[in-house]
Amino acid sequence: MTIHATTARDAASLRPISREPSRVLLIWRAFSRRRSALIALAVLTVIVFSCVLAPWVAPYGPSEGEVTDRLMKIGSAGHLLGTDEQGRDILSRILYGGRLSLLSGVLPVLLSSLIGGALGVIAGYFGGWTNTVIMRSLDIVFSFPAILLAIGISAALGPGITNIIISATVVFIPPVARIAESAAKEVRKEEYIEAARSSGAGAGLIIRSHVFRNIFSKVFVFSTSQIGVCLMVASGLSFLGLGVSPPTPEWGFMLNNLKQLIFVNPMVTIVPGVFIFLTSLSLNLVSDALSDALEIKR
Amino acid sequence: MASFVLKRLALMIPTLLGVSIIVFLMLKIVPGDPVNSIVAPDASEAERAVVRTQLGLDKPIVAQYGIWLGRVVQGNLGDSVTRRLPVTELLLPALKNTVILTAASAAAAFVIALVIGVYSAYRPASRIAALFNGLSLASIGLPNFWVALILIGIFSVTLGWLPSSGMSTVGGGGGGDLIKHLILPTAATALSSVGVLTRMVRSTVAGILQQDHIFALQAKGVRRTTILAHVLRNGMPTILNVTGLQFGALLASSVLVETVFSWPGIGQVIYQAIGQRDFPVVQAGVLVIAVAFVLLNLLVDAIHAAMDPRVRHA
Repeated sequence: MTIHATTARDAASLRPISREPSRVLLIWRAFSRRRSALIALAVLTVIVFSCVLAPWVAPYGPSEGEVTDRLMKIGSAGHLLGTDEQGRDILSRILYGGRLSLLSGVLPVLLSSLIGGALGVIAGYFGGWTNTVIMRSLDIVFSFPAILLAIGISAALGPGITNIIISATVVFIPPVARIAESAAKEVRKEEYIEAARSSGAGAGLIIRSHVFRNIFSKVFVFSTSQIGVCLMVASGLSFLGLGVSPPTPEWGFMLNNLKQLIFVNPMVTIVPGVFIFLTSLSLNLVSDALSDALEIKR
Repeated sequence: MASFVLKRLALMIPTLLGVSIIVFLMLKIVPGDPVNSIVAPDASEAERAVVRTQLGLDKPIVAQYGIWLGRVVQGNLGDSVTRRLPVTELLLPALKNTVILTAASAAAAFVIALVIGVYSAYRPASRIAALFNGLSLASIGLPNFWVALILIGIFSVTLGWLPSSGMSTVGGGGGGDLIKHLILPTAATALSSVGVLTRMVRSTVAGILQQDHIFALQAKGVRRTTILAHVLRNGMPTILNVTGLQFGALLASSVLVETVFSWPGIGQVIYQAIGQRDFPVVQAGVLVIAVAFVLLNLLVDAIHAAMDPRVRHA
C-alpha cells in the first residue's frame, strides 16, 4: 500500500483506515486463549492484592492472639484457617506474611535482571577480554547448586530478610547475564549496529538505543519465569531460620514454626506451604503463557 | 577411556578452585571482626594484634586464601565454634547419610521418570500422559520441605505407616528399618527432580521414535520390546547426563528435607550450625556438598563416555 501523503494532516487522517490491533492487544489475545493461564493470573491477583491490603483485609493483627484460642482447627468459627500455638489467626498471619514472602520473590529477580542484564550486555557487546573476565567469573557460580550457594551467603551475612534478598540476587545474576550476553552478541552482528557505529555513535548510545531494546523481551521473559523459583528459594532460606525473627510473619518461617505442631494439628501446619505452592505454580503458568504470547510477531 | 577421564580430571581443577574461592569469600563477608570472637572484650590493641597475626589476618587476602586452601587440601576444615571439635569429625559421618539419601532419591527419580516418560512418549494422546504432564509441571513449583511435612502428616501422623524422623528406630536397626526410614525423605527429595526428568525423558524418547531407523524396525516387524531396547539404548546417554545434572538439585534439596525428617546428614548439621551461628561448620558443609556435586558430575560424565563412543572421542 502506497500512500501519497502530501501533508502531515493527510497522513494522520489516513491512519485509522488500517486498523491494526496494538501489540499489547495481540499479546493479551494470545495469552487469554489459555484457560490455565487466566485462572493462574486470577489466583495471583487475589493473593497479591489481599497481601498488600492485609491491614484492611485481614480479620486480626499478625501478632494478636489469645492463649485460650490456641491450636484451633481449619474452619473454626472466627478463624477460617485455624490458629497456631499462641492462638494467633493463621489467615491473618498468612496475609501479613505474604508481603515479605512476595517481596523476597520479586525483588531479587528484579535486581539480578538489572545487574545480570547490564553485565551480560557489556560482555556480549564488547567481547574479547571484557567478555572472558565477566563470563568466566560468573561461570564459577554455576558450579554451585543454586540453593546451596544462597544458604552459604545468607548464613555468612546473618539472618534477616535483606540478607536473603542479597543472597538470592547473587544466585540469579549469572543465568540472566548468560541470556543477555548471547542476545547482545547476536545483535552486535546486525547491520544497523554497524551503520550506527560507522556514523559515529559511541558504544553507550548504541547500547542504550539499539542493544537494550532488542534484548529486553528475552531477559523479561526469562526473569518472569524465575520469580516462582526465587520465591521457593527465599522461603526455603527462611524455613532454615535465615530470614525473619519471631514474631514477624513470613510463609517459609511460619512453616518452620508450625512443623512442631504436625502431630497435633497437621492440616494447619501445611497451610503456609499451600500459599507458597499456589503462588509459585501460578507464576510459572503465567510466565509460560506470557513467553509464548510474546513470540507472536506483529 | 583412561585419557578421557584424565582430561576431565584436569578440567575439574579450575572448577574446584572456583568453588573454593566462593566458599573462602563467604567467610570474608561475615560481618564483624573475627578477632572479637576470640579475645576478651577488654583486650588491648596489642593483644588483638597478636591474635590477628596468629590467624594470619594481617596478610593480604590472596595470601590468606592460599593458607586456607592449603589447610583445606590437607583435610583441615577448621573447628566448630560451639562444639570445639574439628569440623571434619562432624561432617564425615553426616556425609555418608546424605549420600545414602541423595542416591536413593536419584534412583527413585530416575526409575519413575523413565517409566512415566517412556509411556507418555509412546501414548502422547492418552489420559494418563496428560495427567502426568500436568503433575510434572506442577511438581516443579513444589517446595520440597513442604512436601516433606505433607508426607509426614499423611503417612506418619494419620496412617501411622512410616516413621517421621531419624534414620533408625532406637534399639532397632537393620536394612529393613533403614528402608522404612528412607521412604518418606526419599520421596520428598526426589519429587522436584521427577518432574524435570519425566519431561526430558518424554521429549527424548518421542524424538527417537520419529527417526527412520525405528520406522525401519517397525516395517521389518521386529517385536515391540526389541524396538524399545533400541530406543532406550539411543536415549540413555542423554537421559543419564541430565539425571547427573539433577544430582546438584537433589543434594541441595536434601539439605532442606533432612531438617524436616531429622535425617542425620549434612543438611541437618548445617541447619543446627545456622541456629548456633557456628559459621565454620556451615562453610565446611557447603564446601563438602559443592565438591561432592563436582565429583558426581565427573562420575556421570565417565559413565556417559563409557556408553557413548562419540563423547569419548570428541
